[in-house]
Amino acid sequence: MRRKRLFTSMVSLVLLMGILAGCTGNGNNGNASKPGEQTPSAGTGDPIKLKMWGGVPPESGPQGVIDAWNKEHPEIQVEYVRFVNDDEGNLKLDTAMMTGQNVDLFVNYTISQAGKRMESGLAADLSTFTDYNIDEKMGADAKSWQIDGKYYGIPTTKSPFFVALNKDALDAAGLKVPTDWTWDELREYAKKLKSGDGYGFIQHTEPFVDPIDSVLSQEGYTKADGNSNLNHPLVKKWLETLNTMMKEDQTTPPLGEQLTSKMPVEQEFLSGKVPMLNIGAWLLRSSNNFTDFPRDFKIAFAPVPRLVDSADDYVTRGGLGDYISINAKSKNQAAAWEFLKWYADGGMAPMAAGGRLPASKDADQKTALDSLLGDKSSTYDLDSLMYVMFENKTPTYVRSLAQEVMDVRAQEYEKYFLGSQSADDTIAAMVTRHNEYLKQNK
Amino acid sequence: MNNNWMRRQQLLGYIFIGPSMLGVLLFFLIPAVYSFGLMFTNYKFMNPNVEFVGLDNIVRLLHDPMFYLSLKNTVLFLLAVPFSIGLGFVVAVVLNQRIYLKKLLRGLYFMPYITSGVAVAFVWMLLFHPKQGPINGLLRSIGFDNPPGWLSTTTSSMFAIDIIWIWFLLGYNMIIYMAALQEVSPELLEAAKMDGAKRGQILRRIIWPLVSPTTFLLLITGLIMTIKTFGIIQAITQGGPGNSTTILSLYVYQNAFRYYDMGYASTISWALFIVILLITLVQWIGQKRWVHY
Repeated sequence: MRRKRLFTSMVSLVLLMGILAGCTGNGNNGNASKPGEQTPSAGTGDPIKLKMWGGVPPESGPQGVIDAWNKEHPEIQVEYVRFVNDDEGNLKLDTAMMTGQNVDLFVNYTISQAGKRMESGLAADLSTFTDYNIDEKMGADAKSWQIDGKYYGIPTTKSPFFVALNKDALDAAGLKVPTDWTWDELREYAKKLKSGDGYGFIQHTEPFVDPIDSVLSQEGYTKADGNSNLNHPLVKKWLETLNTMMKEDQTTPPLGEQLTSKMPVEQEFLSGKVPMLNIGAWLLRSSNNFTDFPRDFKIAFAPVPRLVDSADDYVTRGGLGDYISINAKSKNQAAAWEFLKWYADGGMAPMAAGGRLPASKDADQKTALDSLLGDKSSTYDLDSLMYVMFENKTPTYVRSLAQEVMDVRAQEYEKYFLGSQSADDTIAAMVTRHNEYLKQNK
Repeated sequence: MNNNWMRRQQLLGYIFIGPSMLGVLLFFLIPAVYSFGLMFTNYKFMNPNVEFVGLDNIVRLLHDPMFYLSLKNTVLFLLAVPFSIGLGFVVAVVLNQRIYLKKLLRGLYFMPYITSGVAVAFVWMLLFHPKQGPINGLLRSIGFDNPPGWLSTTTSSMFAIDIIWIWFLLGYNMIIYMAALQEVSPELLEAAKMDGAKRGQILRRIIWPLVSPTTFLLLITGLIMTIKTFGIIQAITQGGPGNSTTILSLYVYQNAFRYYDMGYASTISWALFIVILLITLVQWIGQKRWVHY
């Protein structure tokens, strides 16, 4: 009896070990077969398989792009993998690359992320490919994506930031669509457009802090002596302007309320509740979607207002975006490069439906624009759309501040807008913590 | 023969715990030792340059105001545990009597514990909405003109989180207490009644001491679980507004997976370990005074 029990237990144990071994065994096999699977492909005509990681949901363009490519190029088949562009998603991508999973192309959404990947040898230096002049194709704005003077990716899209306006509401109030304005002017607009308990102006939290960056990207985040420049007078002006709008004018939601209710700003704007929204090109993804966001007004576009007095000193966030890199560890870099060139030069047209217009001068803007507006072009004020997308000649900058400093700043200005510290204390705290960071990361 | 049998039994025992020990070793012990080592480096995930920096991380920790702030927030967060235990006891005593819908109520109180954390988070965010939320709606209708901002101010946010956490732990505490109450022998209660003890006295002098081992268990497990939690805060406030709800575990998470600063994150998590150790030690020593086995 006892022996029998022992026997059964041994059997189950062996089975268990078998399962464990099976798992690890598979893993090993998977790893071992990877190089084997790719080496013959070049010779025998098996298609090369590429994996591209991006943050846009496949149905908002990427699937259309790779379907078109795969049809034309049977020898190079691309697969799209979506990662959510947040902390976890980027961590997933980084881990996948560090552990040598198949990532051939990947999209960076900020220059600090691209920089980290470059430092750890994951982004290939594209100057080794000589048949594509990024500066010439993408124009002057591309320069802001250079890291140490080199391109480790191609910035592929136009990425304008703007204030979306409810044209009908503006017309009713007798206001013009501005092509150049200051925050004080926006404040007046918001007051005139506010009705009852509603708000006149809301902001997406992503570009919320841009006015500061617009100033400091020019003046420098640090002073000549190496200390923080976050006590620049315009920082205080920004804090106070918005605070007045939140508390006195009540034309924009108090930040505490907006954050804790995770206010769906696209919804608020597109339903017609709030007539002005500070956002970027991704608004088009929602504003073209009449099923989820039915709307009965025309949308007009204005540039983001400036803090500086003189329009000549102003730079606006935007320029180019979607910085696509080739994984330096990929075995199919040449194939990835072919795909990337095609993508940048217009292959990406289906992405326009989600607000992503190609940046390359060789891309067919008309096709892209058609895809951008779809059958909804009559619901946009096309003149102002063309202005913010193409004609506005204001120089641009790309946000390049380290995440740590972004967070420090956000924590302190949140305390200010929530009324738990004064503007001067806020600035002092920002400076102290920024200096601490600078000391830590010398 | 007997000796031989014993030995075989022992061997069998080791074989049985083998797989789980392997798991503990691979996923807990080795990483723990590894993170102890990381504490003395400036290792950043993805950055190939790793240097030995000695005690720099520890010095940095001791001078980091964010560390002390998150320590304070952690303590505030932990306040939820005793409250939830007290409330759990009361609910268990009430439900232990003959009342209507006992089973349904028991189920309802336990629901939060088995509900998805993220869903819970969103519901609470709606409830706590400073302007349109039902909680403040109720408060206004009964005469509070300036109801608290709950999650939307830096002073009240940690308490709003505490309320959510009390509610979350309540069901579990209640169930464990109900089991403990079943163990209280009816003879004792009857004897007390015969001697003329009032209900309050019975509760305080007989039932409460008799369930004290359960209270102790709930306190230790509750505190440890709470100190390690960060999911609910990550889902609701991400440590904000400002940094008013950044607790230690969330601060570890941010340093490790947002800033990729693994060396510093390891240092904070070892500090967190020391905090847990201290709390548990204090309770072990303190228990002699009030826990009756």
